[in-house]
Amino acid sequence: MKNEMTLSFLAIEQNEALARMALTCFIAPLDPTLDELSEFKTIVSEAVTNAIIHGYECDGKSMVKVHATIDDRSVKMTVTDEGMGIFDIEQAMEPMFTTKPQMERSGMGFTIMESFSDGIRVDSTLGNGTIVTFEKNFSPVTEVSRMR
Amino acid sequence: MATITQLENGIVLITLAGELDNHEANQIREEVSTAIFTGKTRAIIWDLYQLGFMDSAGIGLILGRMRDLVPVNGETLILNPSPTMQKLFQFSGLGEVVRICTVEEAIDEIGGVVHEK
Repeated sequence: MKNEMTLSFLAIEQNEALARMALTCFIAPLDPTLDELSEFKTIVSEAVTNAIIHGYECDGKSMVKVHATIDDRSVKMTVTDEGMGIFDIEQAMEPMFTTKPQMERSGMGFTIMESFSDGIRVDSTLGNGTIVTFEKNFSPVTEVSRMR
Repeated sequence: MATITQLENGIVLITLAGELDNHEANQIREEVSTAIFTGKTRAIIWDLYQLGFMDSAGIGLILGRMRDLVPVNGETLILNPSPTMQKLFQFSGLGEVVRICTVEEAIDEIGGVVHEK
């Protein structure tokens, strides 16, 4: 199947749940397994949280944009902010690295996104914002799982 | 949502439900910290059995409380995470404190008093 969606929302923490819910509904027709669904939800949550608290520092006036497409059993998603950008992408993607230890950020966001997706790409310009693109492939629906 | 219970022997039981993301972690952090600093906490048991979702904010919250317990050499156990959450704990080096067991069994492991039901 083919489908496409765009969602924009204010950079406030409450919208982390909104993004998870919307994207979960969007991929529901793919009949993902429970593990696939919760991994996908986790990726969405990490990417959107990064945009809100790192990109915009929860400024409550800028917009985060999520765009997603479904092509057969592959989902491609981009999370875009026009915020501060990432100083050093390689460093930002290192496990346990965080610029906000005082907020108890674990620095695991990118590690999780990398592990749970089938490809991630980060484009960022200081002062101009960040675009995180990832892809996740969903397993074919078997007769057994259809009978669930 | 977090339900915090002070058990005997300095054990704090934190039962999490719903979805634990950055927003929720910020909502419950103070309550959890206050509970730990009241009384002589020497161990925390996190029961995730009813937790439907968790991202890296949950890791941050739990790691933060483990740091709170460092001065007293305190223990932490994480009970019953979902398979996806278990992976997050593995990535973060917390795999060793994850248990699939009942709260009673966890209390027993830590060396607390298990009350008859």
